[in-house]
Amino acid sequence: MTGDVASAEQPAVELDAVSRTYTRGEPVYALDDVSLTLARGSYTAVMGPSGSGKSTLLNLVGCLDTPTAGTVSVAGEDVTALSAGQRARVRGQEVGFVFQTFNLMPRLTAEENAALPLVFQGAARAERTERARDLLDRVGLGDRTDHRPSELSGGQRQRVAIARALVTDPAIVLADEPTGNVDTETGERIMALLDDLHAAGNTILLVTHQRSIADRAERIVRLRDGEIEGIDAVDPTGAA
Amino acid sequence: MDAAESLRLAVRSIRGHKLRAALTALGIVIGIAAVITFVTLGASVKAEVVGQFDDSPANRVFLVATPSDDGGPPAALSQPVFTEHDVSRIGEIEGVDRVVPRGTIATSALTHGGETVARDQVTATTPALFESVTFREGDAFADAGSGAACPAEMVVTPSAAALFPGNLSVGDQVSITQRGNRTRNVTVVGVLGDDAGLNPLAGFGSQPRFYLPTCAYDTVVTSPTTGTRQNVFPQVTVVAANPGDTAAVQDRVQDYLEAESDATQLAPGSYEVSARTNEDIVERIENVVDRLTQFVTGIAVISLLVGAIGIANIMLVSVRERTKEIGIMKAVGATNRDVLQLFLVEALLLGVGGALLGVPIGVAGGWVAVTYAELPLTLPLVWVGAAIGIGLVVGVVSGLYPAWSAARVDPIDALRYE
Ligand SMILES: Nc1ncnc2c1ncn2[C@@H]1O[C@H](COP(=O)(O)OP(=O)(O)OP(=O)(O)O)[C@@H](O)[C@H]1O
Ligand SMILES: [Mg+2]
Repeated sequence: MTGDVASAEQPAVELDAVSRTYTRGEPVYALDDVSLTLARGSYTAVMGPSGSGKSTLLNLVGCLDTPTAGTVSVAGEDVTALSAGQRARVRGQEVGFVFQTFNLMPRLTAEENAALPLVFQGAARAERTERARDLLDRVGLGDRTDHRPSELSGGQRQRVAIARALVTDPAIVLADEPTGNVDTETGERIMALLDDLHAAGNTILLVTHQRSIADRAERIVRLRDGEIEGIDAVDPTGAA
Repeated sequence: MDAAESLRLAVRSIRGHKLRAALTALGIVIGIAAVITFVTLGASVKAEVVGQFDDSPANRVFLVATPSDDGGPPAALSQPVFTEHDVSRIGEIEGVDRVVPRGTIATSALTHGGETVARDQVTATTPALFESVTFREGDAFADAGSGAACPAEMVVTPSAAALFPGNLSVGDQVSITQRGNRTRNVTVVGVLGDDAGLNPLAGFGSQPRFYLPTCAYDTVVTSPTTGTRQNVFPQVTVVAANPGDTAAVQDRVQDYLEAESDATQLAPGSYEVSARTNEDIVERIENVVDRLTQFVTGIAVISLLVGAIGIANIMLVSVRERTKEIGIMKAVGATNRDVLQLFLVEALLLGVGGALLGVPIGVAGGWVAVTYAELPLTLPLVWVGAAIGIGLVVGVVSGLYPAWSAARVDPIDALRYE
C-alpha cells in the first residue's frame, strides 16, 4: 500500500448513497441508497435474507459491477470514475475476491488457479508458483496442487478460491459466503485464516448467513431489500 | 501479462479442444498447401520453359505468326505463313548468317525392325538447323538443293532413338507412315548429342523428335509475290552472324516482314507476323505462365479465405463458450488488453500451426504435380516463407473480431453466464 499519511487516514472502502437498480420490466432495487464506510483493518460481516443485495454490495466494492447512482471509493479512489483498465488494476491488486460460486478456471490446476491473478500482474513464473504453493499450504491443500477443479471436492474448491483471492496479498478481502459449501471443520479453518488476515491488518468484508460466523467480525451490517436495516457492533468478549 | 504467458495459456486452451483446433487449422493447412502446390508447379513450368530459351544462343531471331492479342498462346501454335520465297529473301538481309525454316509433317506411325511407334508428327527442316550442334553419332542430312533428288535421310534426338528397342543408330532403316497412308522409307544418318535447346518454339524440350529434310515437307501454298507453288512454314529461325547485331537484324527482318513478305499477306486477319528474340519470347512465356499461376493460385487463396473464416467462426464459438472463464480472468485482474492478447495468440497459433503443416504438404503436392508433368522441381522458397507470414496474418485477421468481442465482455455478466 502507498504509505503516505493522508492515505493512511482514508477508509479502505466508502460507499456514498449507492444504488444498483436493474431495470428489466419492473425495476429491481438490488441496492437502494446505501452508504457504508469500512475503516482500514476493519472486519465487517454482511447478513440478510436471500436476494437482499449482499452479493451486489460485494461486486460493487470489488469493481465487478458499477452503481447506477452514488460513488464507491476503494483506498480513497473513486472507482466509479475509473477506466476499464484502471478497474482491472483495482480488481487485481487492491481487492481479493472469494466468490459464492468459486469461479475457478476448469482447465487449470489448483496451483495455476491460485496463481492466476499474479499472471495478470506480470509476476515471474517462479514467484507465482512459490506464492500459490504457499497459500495452498495455508488453506490445507498443499497435496492437491496438481488437481483440476473437477477433481476437487466443493470445500477444496472453495479453499483454492480463497488461496487465489489472497495470492496478491490484497489489502481488502471480500468473501461471499466462504463457508457456505464446506463442512464445519473446513469452515473453521477458513475462518481462522480470515482471523489471521484481520490480525495482520487487512480489511475484511464477509457475507454470511450464519450468525456464529458473523459474530467473529467486529460489526454486522444487516441488509434487507437492498437497504441497510441496521449495523450491530459485535461484543468481542461474547464472540470469543 | 507477458507474451510467453499468453502463449502458454493459449496452447492450454487449444489442447483442451484438440479435435476442434485440428479441424480449424485444417482449413489453413489445405489453403496453404494448395497455394504452395500451385505456386511450385507454376515456378517449375516457368523455370523449365524459360530455361530452354536461355539455352539457345543469343543470336537467334524467331519468326512466328500468332494471334495478335498480346501475350497470346506460345509460339507452338504459329501458323504456316513463311514461304520459301520469304526464307531466301530473309537470308539476303544484312547481318543474317542463315535462316532455318521448320514445319511439321503429319504422320501416324514410324516402323523399324518390326517395331511400330505411334507418332503424330515429324519435323521438316534444313541442315542449317544442325550447325553448331553436336552429334552423338553420324551427321546432318544432305541439303535438299533445288533440282537434286530428295535425300531419304533422317536425324533423330536421343530420346527419339530410344523409342525403338536397341536404340536407333546410323544406317537403320525407318519406315514413316504419313497421313493418308503414304509410306516414306528413310535411313537414319545422325543421332543428336542431347535433347535440349534445338526447338524452343515447339514446347517442352525432351520430347522425342525426328527431323526430315524440307523436301519431304508437303504443306504448300501459292506465293503471292512469285505466283508459284511453294512450301510454307509455321516457324523460321534467323541466325545473326554476330550476336551483337541480333537486335538490328531483328529490326531489319521485321521491316521486311511488314513491307513485302508473303507471310504478312498469307497471315489470317487476326494473326500477327513477328520477329522475336529469345528475350521477347521468354518475357511473353513468363507472362503467360505467370498469369496461369496467378489464376490457379487465386483459387487456392479462396480456400485460404475459407480457412480464415473457419478460424473466426471457431474463435467466436470459443469466446461464447468461455464467457465464464473470461469473466473469471477479468475478476482477478485481467485487463481488456490481456483478454484480447490471449484470444489473438490463440487464433495466431491456429493460423501459424496450420501454415507450418501446410508447407510440407504443399511442397509434397508440388513435387507430385511436377513429377507427374515430368518437370524438374523448382521450389519457390520465398513462398514457403510467405506461407508462414500468411498463416500469421490469417490468424490475426480472423482472430481480431472474436478477440475484441471477448475483451469487451462485462465481468459481472460473464460470471453469471451459465
Ligand atoms: N443481473 C440481474 N438482473 C436483474 N436482477 C438482478 C440481477 N442480479 C441480481 N439481481 C437482483 O438483485 C437482488 C440482489 O441480488 P444479490 O445477488 O445481491 O442477492 P444476495 O443477497 O447475494 O442473495 P443470496 O443470499 O441468495 O446470495 C435480487 O433480487 C436479484 O434478483
Ligand atoms: Mg449472494
